[in-house]
Amino acid sequence: MTLLAEIALVVLAGIAVATCVTLLPAPRPLRRRQPAAPVPSRPQQLVALERLVTTAGTSAVSAHAYLRPRLIEIVSHRLAARGQTLERMPEAVGRDLLGDRLWDIVRPDRRFPQDRRGPGVQAQELDAMLEVIRRL
Amino acid sequence: MKGSLSPRTPGVLALGGAGLIAALATGRPELALIAVPFLVFGGAGLMLAREPQVTAAVEAERLRFLEGEELTAMVRVRNDGPESVEAEVAPVRTGQLAVAPASTVAVRVGARSETEIAFSVRPRRWGAHGLGPVAVRTRDALGVTVWEGRLGARVDMRAFPREERLRELVAPLRTQPFLGAHVARSRADGIEFADIRPFAVGDRVRQVNWRATARRGSLQVNQRHPEHSSDVVLLLDTFEEARDQDSGTLDSAVRTAASLARAHLARRDRVGVVDFGGTLHWLEPAFGTRQLYRIVDALLSSNIAFSYAWRNVDSLPQRVLPPGALILAITPLLDERSIALVSELRKRGCDLTVVEVSPLDYVSPGPTASDAVAYELWRLAREALRARLQSLGVGVAISEPGSALGPALEEVNAFRRSARPALRA
Repeated sequence: MTLLAEIALVVLAGIAVATCVTLLPAPRPLRRRQPAAPVPSRPQQLVALERLVTTAGTSAVSAHAYLRPRLIEIVSHRLAARGQTLERMPEAVGRDLLGDRLWDIVRPDRRFPQDRRGPGVQAQELDAMLEVIRRL
Repeated sequence: MKGSLSPRTPGVLALGGAGLIAALATGRPELALIAVPFLVFGGAGLMLAREPQVTAAVEAERLRFLEGEELTAMVRVRNDGPESVEAEVAPVRTGQLAVAPASTVAVRVGARSETEIAFSVRPRRWGAHGLGPVAVRTRDALGVTVWEGRLGARVDMRAFPREERLRELVAPLRTQPFLGAHVARSRADGIEFADIRPFAVGDRVRQVNWRATARRGSLQVNQRHPEHSSDVVLLLDTFEEARDQDSGTLDSAVRTAASLARAHLARRDRVGVVDFGGTLHWLEPAFGTRQLYRIVDALLSSNIAFSYAWRNVDSLPQRVLPPGALILAITPLLDERSIALVSELRKRGCDLTVVEVSPLDYVSPGPTASDAVAYELWRLAREALRARLQSLGVGVAISEPGSALGPALEEVNAFRRSARPALRA
């Protein structure tokens, strides 16, 4: 009985050692430098326009001073392709062609907003205006 | 090479030590019998550990090749020691080189012998790339100690941009008095018929137009347009680029510039390059194949250098823009300085064409609804800018990834034909 117990103890010890050997850490992978991941680059023009669309939604001054010139440039180019100019366009034709909201923004005689803290042009409104421009 | 214990060695020694302590604590010699082999194994490994005499060298099949082309690189691992070693070899990791196999390769190098490992290398982008050194790890026969290091010298390779074969090129308004492939406006010996005029003393008989002579009753001779070369300056805008994870506008711009340079040099034009950006580099116009290699080498070092410095036409040395040269501005039209330069050159009467490397394919709208509106506004603003340049008499060819440049250049030629009265002004 004692001999059997000793044999069992040695076998158990052997199993425990074998288990420990298998649990020993494996060799780590060879150390290599990770390549630098390429950094996507967004154009400053676009970043500035994203800021402008945000600020134009909350400030009438921003909409008038910064957004309006850009819209005028785009509309003028589209109208020029049709042989028309914004400066010489009668109000009725302009309203008919561009819609009331866009015409109010790009009309040549538009004045600086009286209420500087007034609402500007919301992104949804601007999207609708761009849709009108695309159809020109 | 730097030596260290294998990650398993401390564990093996700890097991041996634990067995001995257990044997002492319990008074059972059987446990010591189990522990001793571990200690003998670890101890013998440490006693016999010796730095391996391993060297490695990297060799490339060729040092100059085209981007996207696959070539073979050989890593030679040499063992000058008296015993064979097991070596793990791993290729370098660079963002611009795709190396296969990318994982570690294990080889056994015999005593005083050499083993070769082949890797395939493919550059994802044009430019100067470095291959090597390679990471090598060896272990002793018992695996108790490991030696790790970077072996082999760096091999510098140059990947040239893939060029598009252009059949149609922008026809210059003015030519130079050298033999070339452009039909000049002047009248002299040539192939293209220009006009007929009355015979004058000194005219050759072969110039006589007999049909016209018979109709008019006096000797009439043909006049022809000669074939001349022109000066072409490639103006590469490196102020700003739009870039996604894989590629950007500068990559396309360099490919376009290389294609245009090759095509114009093949037509015996003098071609020069101006790298117009945060840093200013230039190559004066010259003829020939050697100039093509100079241009491509210069293009390979192009990169975006951020700068606040305002640059205009006066920043350019006069000799890089010869009078009457055709200027091809290769630009994504993203930076105000390059747009201002293009306008200024045109206002000074330069013969100018813009090759717009479209950034739209590299930039997607932002996550919010207002970002999407801004993106659409940007797209429409770019159209308006293009129209403004065209109103100045500047032809704009749009180069988009995946589409050929030839048709766009053809459109520019059509535009230039219709806008010729304005261009002459």
